[in-house]
Amino acid sequence: MAMCAALRCVSTNFSAALPLLSRPAHIWTCQNSLRPNILRTLYTSSRLSGALKFTDKHEWVRVEGGVGTVGISNFAQEALGDVVYCGLPEVGTKLEQMEEFGVLESVKAASELYSPLTGEVTEINTDLADNPGLVNKACHEDGWLVKMTIEKPAELDELMDEVAYEKFIKSLDS
Amino acid sequence: MILRLSNRACVLSGSARLKSTLSTYFDEMGKAGIILKSASAGIFENLALEDWIHDHVDLQNRSILLLWRNSPVVVIGRHQNPWQECNLPLMRRLGIPLARRRSGGGTVFHDFGNINMTFFTSKKKYDRHRNLKVVTSALKALRPDLDVTATDRFDILLNGHHKISGTAAKLGRTSAYHHCTLLCSVDRSILSSVLKSNTSEVIRSNATLSVPSPVKNLSDVDPTLDADTIMEAIASQFNNEFGFDSPVITVDPAHEALMPGIHKMTNDIQMWEWIYGKTPKFSVCTSLVVDDVNIKLDMDIKSGTVEKCVVEIPEDWLPPETVNEFTSALNGSKYCPNEAAVLVAAFMRTRSMSADVAGKIHRLCEGVLSVM
Repeated sequence: MAMCAALRCVSTNFSAALPLLSRPAHIWTCQNSLRPNILRTLYTSSRLSGALKFTDKHEWVRVEGGVGTVGISNFAQEALGDVVYCGLPEVGTKLEQMEEFGVLESVKAASELYSPLTGEVTEINTDLADNPGLVNKACHEDGWLVKMTIEKPAELDELMDEVAYEKFIKSLDS
Repeated sequence: MILRLSNRACVLSGSARLKSTLSTYFDEMGKAGIILKSASAGIFENLALEDWIHDHVDLQNRSILLLWRNSPVVVIGRHQNPWQECNLPLMRRLGIPLARRRSGGGTVFHDFGNINMTFFTSKKKYDRHRNLKVVTSALKALRPDLDVTATDRFDILLNGHHKISGTAAKLGRTSAYHHCTLLCSVDRSILSSVLKSNTSEVIRSNATLSVPSPVKNLSDVDPTLDADTIMEAIASQFNNEFGFDSPVITVDPAHEALMPGIHKMTNDIQMWEWIYGKTPKFSVCTSLVVDDVNIKLDMDIKSGTVEKCVVEIPEDWLPPETVNEFTSALNGSKYCPNEAAVLVAAFMRTRSMSADVAGKIHRLCEGVLSVM
């Protein structure tokens, strides 16, 4: 939206500006004053699209370019203890939201994993085969579990953002 | 007091208005704690019973203890490799089946001298230490001088040294179960021979490994301790520890009307795809000696199926084309001696070969089967 306004501003000024050399400065000023707005909008959008959303089963999903990366939260990895094995689905597996898609074995137990969204598994984190401890060490980054397509983007709205999830965890202690 | 639930179920199914399942029966009972004993000695029925209770019974405000025993069987953990954990050829010869459970942990041998206990709770009330305290307190109530203690690894040790119980657990959506074994009078010579793999050195895998421990039976230190006495004591202590007052209720896991869906669950965990197919990807790398010839064998197995099979054989012993055809026959097949034998036999039938070559292929096949 901000970009369109900027272009209109430029074209209007440009046609009028041609005979007068002083005008181009005005055009640039016009562009410059709008650019911070554009940048702010773009920056906010990319933060939103890279932000984590959480389920009440302590899985997170991060959406980037239409692909959801899934992992477990810090709360979950602490509760699990040292992960010794990651049982993940095959690429191509179709999952419904809340469907069991795998299991993490730790000293605590074999704990089932539930899909945060409906979609198809496109990639699994093969580093976890030899290094399951990544889930504990870097649960939000290198310890990701699977990547999947997002068949129903509206499901993302049902998930908690970071603030809501922090509140949710606090309520569990009581 | 022992209620035979299977009898009561006959009464229930006779009435048109009642459609009681085990779950609704518990709701009607209205008790916060329930003790069950399985009427079956079949591992698959008992594992299915565990799954059914976990999936169908509301455990948010209720805890259940299930006591069960099985005829001889080896049970591996969810992410284990049976070829690494036990002696499959020996088990086949002895008629001892293999089962894979849904919980984590290591490999165990069950027979009637072993008691299994499953503690079902909500995830909030999941407390393995407290459950093990039920067991150790029960044993000490029976024999005050008995030195039994639970460790940080949730084992129970006798005299601080010998393992008499191991633990495994599963966490689901809203509930959890913790199960453990208890060695009362198990056949220890069979236990140690079946739990020693014949091929572990040739396997490379990231499957979870068992932690071997020296074991002992409770009957070794006190021959008057038998499984029935111990089960009664554990049931009683469960009531004491948690303030419950449940009788021991016998349940028949074959009763589909009482537990709808349990037959399918029982079938599912007997399938090859579950028991063997769920083995994490692994590779086998070994040297065989056939007719004094050194043969290198390299196989990758995924989902229990041979993904790659490479055999290095001196060219003067067998022609390379024959060797390639042999390995192609095995590619894509189940990593299973019966299936491999059938495929190789079919392969040999469809090709004309001299008796000499046929004999060599036969002996090569035997060598390959020996690691399955």
